[in-house]
Amino acid sequence: MYKWYALKRILRGLFMFALLMFIMSLLFNQVNERTQRTQIFEQVKIESMRLKDVKAEQLEAWRSNRLDQLTKLYKLDRPLMERVLFRAINSLTFNFGNSTVIKSSRGDQDVLTIIMEALPRTLILFSTAAVVQLFIGIWLGLKKAQKPGGRLDKSTSFVTMIVFGMPAWWLAMMLILLFVYVFKLFPSGGLNSVPTPEGIMFLLDRIWHMVLPLTTLILLGFWGLSFVIRNIVLGVLQEDFIMSARARGIPESRVLFGHTMRTAAPPLVTIALLNLLGSISGAIIFEGIFSWPGLGNLYWVAVQQNDIPVLMGDLAITVGLYQAGLVLLDLIYGFLDPRIKVGGKA
Amino acid sequence: MSMKDFNFRLLEFWSDFRREKAGLIGLGILLFSVLVVLLEPVFLPYKDVNGNWRNISYWEDNSDSAPPAWTNIFTTKKSATTRQFDKPAVTEEEDASYGPVKMYSFPYKYGYDLPPLDLIIRARASGMALMLLELERPDGLIVNLGEMYRDGLEDDDIRFAIDTESKANVFDFAREYASAEAISTSDAQNIKPSYILFSKTGTDMLSARDALKGEYFLHIKVPAFLLEDENNTLDDVRLVVTGRVSGILGTDTSKRDIYSGVVAGLKWALFIGIITSVISVLIGVLYGIISAYFGGFVDTAMSFVFEVFVSIPVLPVLIVMSAIFKPSIWIIIASLIVFSWVGPVKTVRSMALQIKEETYIEAANALGATKWRIIFKHMAPLLLPYSFANMALSVPGTIVFEASLSLLGLGDPTIITWGQILHDAQVSGATLNGLWWWIVPPGLLIALMGATFAFLGFAMDKILHPKLRTR
Repeated sequence: MYKWYALKRILRGLFMFALLMFIMSLLFNQVNERTQRTQIFEQVKIESMRLKDVKAEQLEAWRSNRLDQLTKLYKLDRPLMERVLFRAINSLTFNFGNSTVIKSSRGDQDVLTIIMEALPRTLILFSTAAVVQLFIGIWLGLKKAQKPGGRLDKSTSFVTMIVFGMPAWWLAMMLILLFVYVFKLFPSGGLNSVPTPEGIMFLLDRIWHMVLPLTTLILLGFWGLSFVIRNIVLGVLQEDFIMSARARGIPESRVLFGHTMRTAAPPLVTIALLNLLGSISGAIIFEGIFSWPGLGNLYWVAVQQNDIPVLMGDLAITVGLYQAGLVLLDLIYGFLDPRIKVGGKA
Repeated sequence: MSMKDFNFRLLEFWSDFRREKAGLIGLGILLFSVLVVLLEPVFLPYKDVNGNWRNISYWEDNSDSAPPAWTNIFTTKKSATTRQFDKPAVTEEEDASYGPVKMYSFPYKYGYDLPPLDLIIRARASGMALMLLELERPDGLIVNLGEMYRDGLEDDDIRFAIDTESKANVFDFAREYASAEAISTSDAQNIKPSYILFSKTGTDMLSARDALKGEYFLHIKVPAFLLEDENNTLDDVRLVVTGRVSGILGTDTSKRDIYSGVVAGLKWALFIGIITSVISVLIGVLYGIISAYFGGFVDTAMSFVFEVFVSIPVLPVLIVMSAIFKPSIWIIIASLIVFSWVGPVKTVRSMALQIKEETYIEAANALGATKWRIIFKHMAPLLLPYSFANMALSVPGTIVFEASLSLLGLGDPTIITWGQILHDAQVSGATLNGLWWWIVPPGLLIALMGATFAFLGFAMDKILHPKLRTR
């Protein structure tokens, strides 16, 4: 049954996320606690300044009392394992606490608010790029597979190898150099112009700002995809049932999209999505080049400002997204490959 | 597998590989890069770049943000290039005011339209140093550039930059020729000495700046009596002409020679890429074989660990780890290995599961071979060739990971990597100021290294893979 398969896979994904959060909490325990202690100290200092008409001894007593209270609240006085577990549970419930420096656009210091503000921007950029890449990749992969060893196949395979190790962020720098410095066609970065236009112009302005980041992602993304798709499709095209379909006089386009693509779908979807997931985790740097204020840019800012809580929250959310992507991948695979649902081995 | 077998298979592999054009290109570039790394001093214009990359005073004689010297080909007005002279002609002369002097002369052929930015005289001296500096121009005029006097030296470096220290003398020189009006609106502090020294004289010489081309001589006169005293020594007299264009790849905003940095970064890129992928792929292959061969509980446990590592997004975790622990390059390599050994595991495990059932494994077992003997002697040699392609293909990713960390400013500051050069470029806004010579070369080389190993990897994959399938 598909729903049991799906449930099992989702639960396993959740378990893996919890495990990873626990490992992170253990790994970064020391620095987290140091930051927390500093934050508590700051808080007590600010609160004590608000107190009026108190004597020096009273103030001192109140301070140590309050310090104790907060230390207990954040369980900083408990044994190591309990502290680690407490922090892991906090990350699992998206309770990341307050940032030290970074603020959201409304001046909020809650880490989750800051991240939730950045998340949609990253998603819109990468999902648009992913869709375009998928279409170009599938189209080019099919073309390549139809005439393996042909001119198109050879030349595009060559380009694939050329761009194999090209960092997306370097291409981004090059595009900025070319289209911003030389031709002055596009903005160098950011989400919108200042002042932000309204109505339909807002949308156009946003698209204008998205052109360069999207171009970078797409220009690098589809090559590898089309190469893998070519290999998978080529394997299927050599099967006997394709020959028999062609012999029966079925039009070539139906052979390609009806028979070949359906058979190649499960590995194809897996590889394509894995490719995209990999590129998203790798393209994190690239947002910083365009100052696109998404999750990736948040890493840049957090690293520069040394804002540990934001860094941790960002990492937790990225790991969560990656995990969700892997789960989604298996769910689609199971949906496309009937053998998986009934528990057989693929 | 004996040595003879191995040689035979290597020859067989080579005869296939020879037919792969892309593979040969990759091999060619790789061999050339290794050659460059081995002969690094030959390729480096600044020999001490390793260790001095972040030492500001090492680079102080260069001009900042200078384009590469060859850009002169494309411009109508040619700019003077940065040059270094370290072999002066030494003669004994008689000077009007100093008496007998030892004279160090540097000939400098000037054939550009735009003058250099500065002339810098450097030497190493002990005791007392006193020298009179003069510039002999092609039109026969001799300009007094002033005196350098330093005392109490103990084998110290001394430096004299005419741009800052000869302003008054050069202004006096211009005063003789320029119109009174031009002189009255100017003063010794706001002139640029090198502009005047390399232009024709005339009433409008302060503004017109017509280049006077020809051979110049910089004379450094040291009184002979000074050098007779054994406490005073003067060696290693050099002249640096600070040009507007510099070297093969220009300079950055901190006056560093980018070509030297890029060449010095090559060894680190190769080293990080190769060592990380070789070790991690070897670990991955062994992991897959052991997991498949032992089966049962071991397999389940190892598969679980594998799955945990697969679900970690590598780059974000590396970024956070580097930001918090500020690791050295060795720790970075180690953590790269920790996160990238998972690559070949899945394929190797499924292949090993098939090989495990072969009759010769059973035969070896029946003959009493131990588990480890079967793994290392019978299974690993079969599966290792597959991993060679994998190694080559994982090199580019590793290089990019390190470059990405460096780009964020999280690299090891004691070495030079291409990512760090790009980090400095990004921080200084090189893209928006059009300093293309700072951005293009390091990134292009990262991409070229990636392409090299991709060529190699894809060629090997093509040759090695079908063979494994037929077994």
